[in-house]
Amino acid sequence: MTAQRTISGAGVAAGVGLLALLPLAGLPAFYDSFLYMIFYWISLATSWAILSGFAGYFSFGHAAFFGAGMYTTATLSTKFGVPFLVTLPAAAAVAAALAFGIGAVVFRLKRLRGELFALLTLAVSFVVATIILNTAIDGGAGVLTSSVSVPRLMPTPSGTIYLLGLIMCVGTLAITYAIAHSRLGLGLFAIHDDEDVAEVKGIPTFRYKLIAFAVSAAIAGAVGGVHAIYVGFLTVSETFGISVPLYVVLMSVLGGARHWLGPAVGAAIIAASLYAFTSGEQAMIGRGIVAFILVVAILILPEGIVPSLRRWWQRRQSRRAAPPAMADAPGIATVTAPREAGATVANLHPPTRVVLEVGDVHKAFGGLHALRGVTLDIREGEILGLVGPNGSGKTTLINVITGHFPLTSGSIRLDGMEIGNLAAHEIAARGVARTYQIPRPFTHLTVLDNVALAAAFGAADLGRAASLVEARRWLDFTGLRAKENVLPADLNLHERKFLELARALAARPRLLLLDEVLSGLNPAEIDRAIGMIREIRAQGTTIVFVEHLMRAVVELCDRIAVLNEGALFALGEAGAVMRDPRVVSIYLGKAHAA
Amino acid sequence: MTRITRPWRRRHVLAGMAGALSAGLASAGRAAPSGQPVRVGSTLSLTGPLAQTGIVHKIAGEIAVELINSRNGLLGRPVEWVLLDDQSKPEVTRSLYEKLITVDKVELITGPYATAPILSAMGVAQRYQKLFLQSSMGIPKHLTYEMAFPATPFGPEPNKSYPKVVLDAMAGTPTPPKSIAILTSKFPSAQFMAEGTRDVAKERGLNVALYLEYEFGTRDFGAIAARVKDANADFLWLGALGLDSNLLLEAMKKLDYTPKRHFHLYPAPGPLALSPDGDLALSSTFLEPAPPFTDRADVPQLAAMYKERATKANVPYAELDAQGAGMYSQWQLLEQAVNGAKSLDDKVLAQWLKKNGADTVFGKQRFDGAFNHGEPGQMVRQVQNKKWVVVWPTQFAPPGVKLIAP
Repeated sequence: MTAQRTISGAGVAAGVGLLALLPLAGLPAFYDSFLYMIFYWISLATSWAILSGFAGYFSFGHAAFFGAGMYTTATLSTKFGVPFLVTLPAAAAVAAALAFGIGAVVFRLKRLRGELFALLTLAVSFVVATIILNTAIDGGAGVLTSSVSVPRLMPTPSGTIYLLGLIMCVGTLAITYAIAHSRLGLGLFAIHDDEDVAEVKGIPTFRYKLIAFAVSAAIAGAVGGVHAIYVGFLTVSETFGISVPLYVVLMSVLGGARHWLGPAVGAAIIAASLYAFTSGEQAMIGRGIVAFILVVAILILPEGIVPSLRRWWQRRQSRRAAPPAMADAPGIATVTAPREAGATVANLHPPTRVVLEVGDVHKAFGGLHALRGVTLDIREGEILGLVGPNGSGKTTLINVITGHFPLTSGSIRLDGMEIGNLAAHEIAARGVARTYQIPRPFTHLTVLDNVALAAAFGAADLGRAASLVEARRWLDFTGLRAKENVLPADLNLHERKFLELARALAARPRLLLLDEVLSGLNPAEIDRAIGMIREIRAQGTTIVFVEHLMRAVVELCDRIAVLNEGALFALGEAGAVMRDPRVVSIYLGKAHAA
Repeated sequence: MTRITRPWRRRHVLAGMAGALSAGLASAGRAAPSGQPVRVGSTLSLTGPLAQTGIVHKIAGEIAVELINSRNGLLGRPVEWVLLDDQSKPEVTRSLYEKLITVDKVELITGPYATAPILSAMGVAQRYQKLFLQSSMGIPKHLTYEMAFPATPFGPEPNKSYPKVVLDAMAGTPTPPKSIAILTSKFPSAQFMAEGTRDVAKERGLNVALYLEYEFGTRDFGAIAARVKDANADFLWLGALGLDSNLLLEAMKKLDYTPKRHFHLYPAPGPLALSPDGDLALSSTFLEPAPPFTDRADVPQLAAMYKERATKANVPYAELDAQGAGMYSQWQLLEQAVNGAKSLDDKVLAQWLKKNGADTVFGKQRFDGAFNHGEPGQMVRQVQNKKWVVVWPTQFAPPGVKLIAP
């Protein structure tokens, strides 16, 4: 595998080297210029996808960063005499700083996701354009850059521009590839699918989005710096027009915005098509044909060309390959939890050490008080049942413990350390994991990646290879190994429930919060799940078990806490609590209690 | 690519059928051009935001090529116009000029339309040392290439020369304005002229009651109209592009305000002339299809052919104006330089033009000033009876036409 990668790397390097020497081949200068335009669009579209494609934060403001770069280079080189090449890092830095400033405010606000983010970035473009237009940077007169001295990196000016475009393009693709195959990339993909869950699974979503935004903008700024010299004359209306954001979106969508190579493929096709119909006679017809082809391509391949081809190739390969030799077929897993070296099986004596202290916790949503002063200790190695009627505050308590909702007041301490004011990903890193009552898998990630992600970002904090190994162990445990390469949409309900369990376990939690993990399962599946939970506890994991199915609660739990109307109603040994007439009354009514 | 070689014969016949044009096209006495065509390359904005004006240049250019071929072509060879669509994008313009020169290997080039594409194309021309002719660059100081020539007589400093013409026209009226309001789009060439107008107005002692710049693409002129009304100057100078003029006049009308006199730099000529608000509006021009311009060679033919084709192509304003005439003038420069110098060598052609100038639809043009510009030739035209007529300088006004100054 390593040798194969080395050969591939050498092949790519040789290909880039040959491309770099192309201007020396004596081809007409138009090809330098034409290829530069291809590289230019590839760089812009790919840089856009780092935030908007990977993390799903659709931006219509890429022109702001591209334009900031253009005007930085134009201003520094024409007004201050700064050498052109020196202006390029400055162009990148200005654009990155702009994105960082915007992101630092916008990414903190949950309501600014989706279309509001797109509109906001479009507004940023207008604001930046207005500032440049109404200051000495442009002032409306435009900036002439054709006289800027460009170092002769190649024998001809068009060759030099070509080389700069190639460097930008290769650099952009390399950065994007690296991001797509890194923790950052995995985190961004998860943010794309479900940002709240991503945060709870341990992904520092704010930081990741900020990094992606700044990197995306920096590349656009540097590309703009080169392009300022290419066009020779800058005007605000052309620089900050809608065509750049529209083209990059179209290119990325066509090629596949979630794949590192997708925007490049889309950009190459669309940029080349700009030159396919330049005849003066057929100009309008040609543009119409290109538009029609693009519409058809997007309709046929809604995920984009590269992901569609990849999926087709994977299907073809899987048809050819022999069926995988799996230890367990789905649904017949042996219920044996993988054990870590050094892991201790919990003794069956009543545990005493407190893992989590919930102290006078309140949570209000406007006028609605979902939690009213809940105080509760959770002891190491125990299974604590959390029960109560619908609306009693069970899931809210889990959401508060995991940081999904901020506290209104009170304190939550994990191993004596306050976590009530921490972000969800920081709480996850300290060993708290949860499942969701309604499964919320990352829909565009495979079953394997869903679980591996939890291993990489949870308390386990594993590298890519180790996280895959860990994920496969838990997929074996839950009986999903045979489906590791399918998407969550291809799983049935109980498989999705077990996927929730697998990815919670892959984080190697110290405290596991199971939110109605048995609901919707049939009796056989329930028995199997109960067995799994016992196995998990046997490894020393502390479990909070939210469930309506009393048989399971009684079978599994050491203690039971009953919530009613947001307050702790009863707490104690399982059998005693379930016999408490007050508890029976809130579940079944006073007549039964009597 | 558009290759205008074979179709020219058919179009020649059609044009000859256009009444009064036939005399100009009667080429029976001349030898038809023969041999390998001289390939002349250029781009125009045939799609994208500049396409409305691009089509005007295309029609005028096609007529020019036909008429050149109806005479003796270039050095006795027919002209083939290799026309590409730059899509209104400067970056595409640059690469297409590189294509024309290095792939299509055209022998000569002419320039595109609009400031940014022109400057992109000029950079390519300079690198390949090609003669570069253009007709719509309103900021001559950017034309720093020694082989770049203007086909429209802007003069080297239109920001100084043209305001003088406009303010001279106003000063020549019975009640010269004492105050001026200047509005301009933040479009480079318009803003350039607005700043010049402000300076010249101050030099002449006019009170500049308002100087306001608005963003290119503005569509809501309500607040701006209110400022103009408050200023209530004797003369409104508007650095307008396209429909800005109509929109501003409509906005002022809603405020029950009609400017006393109003000048529009680059309006959409048809909509402004036909609008009730546009009556007596003033604007810039270099030529109108009326006497005395129709006394110049080629102008009657050009005006008639242009009107016929522009009407057929649904161009909103089908009369020949400075844009179409400028494109035609580009080809006149090329024809006279090539046939005069008897050469296709770009440097020889540039030297010939520099030395001899050219006789164009705009009159005699010289290129002996700064940035290869000669004497400015701007005039003032006015909407009278829903038509544009030249009113200043008075010697260019049609018989019986005078500037009307309310």
